[in-house]
Amino acid sequence: MNLAFPSPEFDLAVAAVCHGSATDEQVRALNELLRSHPAARDEYILRLELHSRLASAPDLFASEAADPIPSPKNILPLEPARRVPQSSWLLALAACVALLLTGAWWVNRTEPGARQGDTSKAVAMLNRVADAVWQQPGENPRLGAPLEPGWLRLKSGLVQIVFYSGARLVMEGPAELQLVSPGEVVCLGGRLIAEVPPPAKGFRVRTPRMTVTDLGTVFGVDVGARETELHVFKGSVEFQSPASSAKQSMLEGQGAIGDGTSADRLVPASRSRFASLFDLQNKSSEAEVLRHEQWRAASRRLDEDPTLLVHFDFESVDPSDWRLANASRRKDAMQDAAIVGCQWTEGRWPDKRALEFRGMSDRVRLEVAGDYTALTLAAWVRVQGLDRQINSLFMSDGFEAGTVHWSVRQDGVLALTAIGTEPREFQINTSPPALRIDQFGLWIHLAVVVNGDSKQVVHYLNGVPVSEHALKIAPPFRIGVAELGNWNARGFPKNDPFMIRNFSGAMDDFCLFSRALSGEEIRGLYSVGKPQPESARQSRN
Amino acid sequence: MSFDSTRQSGDRSAAQQRFLSLFLRSEREIFRYVAVLVPNVADAEDIVQQTAIVLWEKFDAYDPNQPFTPWACRFALNKAKQWIERRQRWQALLDKGLAEELAQRREELRLELEVRLKHLEGCLNKLPDEQRSLVEGYYYRRDSIEKLAETSSRTVAATYKTLQRVRQALQGCIENAAKPEGAVQ
Repeated sequence: MNLAFPSPEFDLAVAAVCHGSATDEQVRALNELLRSHPAARDEYILRLELHSRLASAPDLFASEAADPIPSPKNILPLEPARRVPQSSWLLALAACVALLLTGAWWVNRTEPGARQGDTSKAVAMLNRVADAVWQQPGENPRLGAPLEPGWLRLKSGLVQIVFYSGARLVMEGPAELQLVSPGEVVCLGGRLIAEVPPPAKGFRVRTPRMTVTDLGTVFGVDVGARETELHVFKGSVEFQSPASSAKQSMLEGQGAIGDGTSADRLVPASRSRFASLFDLQNKSSEAEVLRHEQWRAASRRLDEDPTLLVHFDFESVDPSDWRLANASRRKDAMQDAAIVGCQWTEGRWPDKRALEFRGMSDRVRLEVAGDYTALTLAAWVRVQGLDRQINSLFMSDGFEAGTVHWSVRQDGVLALTAIGTEPREFQINTSPPALRIDQFGLWIHLAVVVNGDSKQVVHYLNGVPVSEHALKIAPPFRIGVAELGNWNARGFPKNDPFMIRNFSGAMDDFCLFSRALSGEEIRGLYSVGKPQPESARQSRN
Repeated sequence: MSFDSTRQSGDRSAAQQRFLSLFLRSEREIFRYVAVLVPNVADAEDIVQQTAIVLWEKFDAYDPNQPFTPWACRFALNKAKQWIERRQRWQALLDKGLAEELAQRREELRLELEVRLKHLEGCLNKLPDEQRSLVEGYYYRRDSIEKLAETSSRTVAATYKTLQRVRQALQGCIENAAKPEGAVQ
């Protein structure tokens, strides 16, 4: 056989080489042609390059793969997956290298700064935790946060990850897991169970000694230092270990133990070995109840603070009641507030209540008496979206002298406007964009301190100061009639596009103090109220 | 030199860290280097895997002042040749010096390949849904050809044929895109 170039036969032969299906005749003819025909050779190289690029650049596909999901920007990046194996690993270098290799296209793909536009490479989300302690001391993945490909290292406790493919994975620490794609993980150690609904069929768990491919099922994997165990609880899986290159299938009730060298030993599946993982549901709700109680106790102590003028904890309310009681001792500063519209919803914990603002008329109206040198406003909110140019958190009506307007701008900027006594005298203190789209839907803590003594305004997000401003408006400050989650313009020009300022989201705690809280105190409010503790171990100490 | 006789455990893990960091950065490039010789994805990955083990064994001899990828590719070429030797068909394909020639020519063409392939992502996004999902299944999810055939209600042969056509379409697209602005088709 002789190959002409260009020709359909040439095209076919090159394709067959790529697919690994070329015949003896095709390869001989190609060898002949490529050695004698430089243009054919260059064309061949280009085609192979295209083919090998497609096979080695998953980022080409990743943005599309995650497309059905809303595309938040600045997704929480997991720790870049430049992992450093421990020395015990060395012994298993072959396995280690093999493993890194097969998953490694993914390793370097999420370089900071390489991201463009509002695309998301997230493959899963963290949707349940119980006593989770992470290895990364810094940025722990938060509950509800989207997860990009990368490493998750869990020291102890349990977490549940839901993949965009629909697969659910419960993992118990200590465990090391690399998220590769919506349909694939690499597990280097730890125990996990995977529950894979039909649309996610084919979900793969790779371990140093075994690769498990789901065929519609529930299965458990325990990756130890020397052995990997597989237990199938429902349906069937296919697995492959380095000892035997053939894929083997395994049915419900069966299990296998592989050490990577000798043949796998078959054992009956043991559900009890994974009992704690099946129990996550119970555990996580217990942990949430405990967390809520801890916060409630701290709130009661806080209510004793005489400078706490207003405290709405949104608890112990009758949903049919339009009144919202002040939980602080200072009933003299504020009578009951009035709920207008709004819906009751779930707060930071399943048994915590929150008030949801959705419509243009939703608001809570209140009136606070008194003049003050300093004010601190703090709230736990779950932002649904920043629909308006100015989204009110808390604003005094109109544009009265000495009052303040606290809001989030459409671009995530936190803003505090202080209004002076002269006509048109006001100061808008705006932070850099602080609230990111990936924080929508998560409970976050916002606070602002207006300090007339030190002439300073400080914005906080989750207990951390995000900006400081020199305050040019002189005290006293006052609240008067004000609204949570909305604004009553009171005769402000009707054609002003900034008129409509209703907040879209939920609030489950609001505090107004008549003094400037320190950074330490703000951090305290955040850490006692955040939905999950930073590390269960630390909080017990 | 054997690593366990010469390195203290602390050094060893530091060296391993350096190695992994270098290797991971070069890995795709090593894969593509190998794939010009053995384009079948699973086989090429096999070779890269074996190369990684050799690289680690030889890592003591690596001069950190030299770029890692070319150093690694030398070993990859050897590994690929060893691998080819045991497989008649591949041997016939790369016989009579063609392996070296391809590897070398690919180096010479690198810049040109880069210019064309930077349009790959854009071209992928322009594919009709059905073609796109086939490419995604084959290259990204690494589905078996049987599975892909089944989901698209084609025969295996027709699925291979379609893959070939989609690659041709992509190639046409990247070559068009790589033409200087305003060039006449």
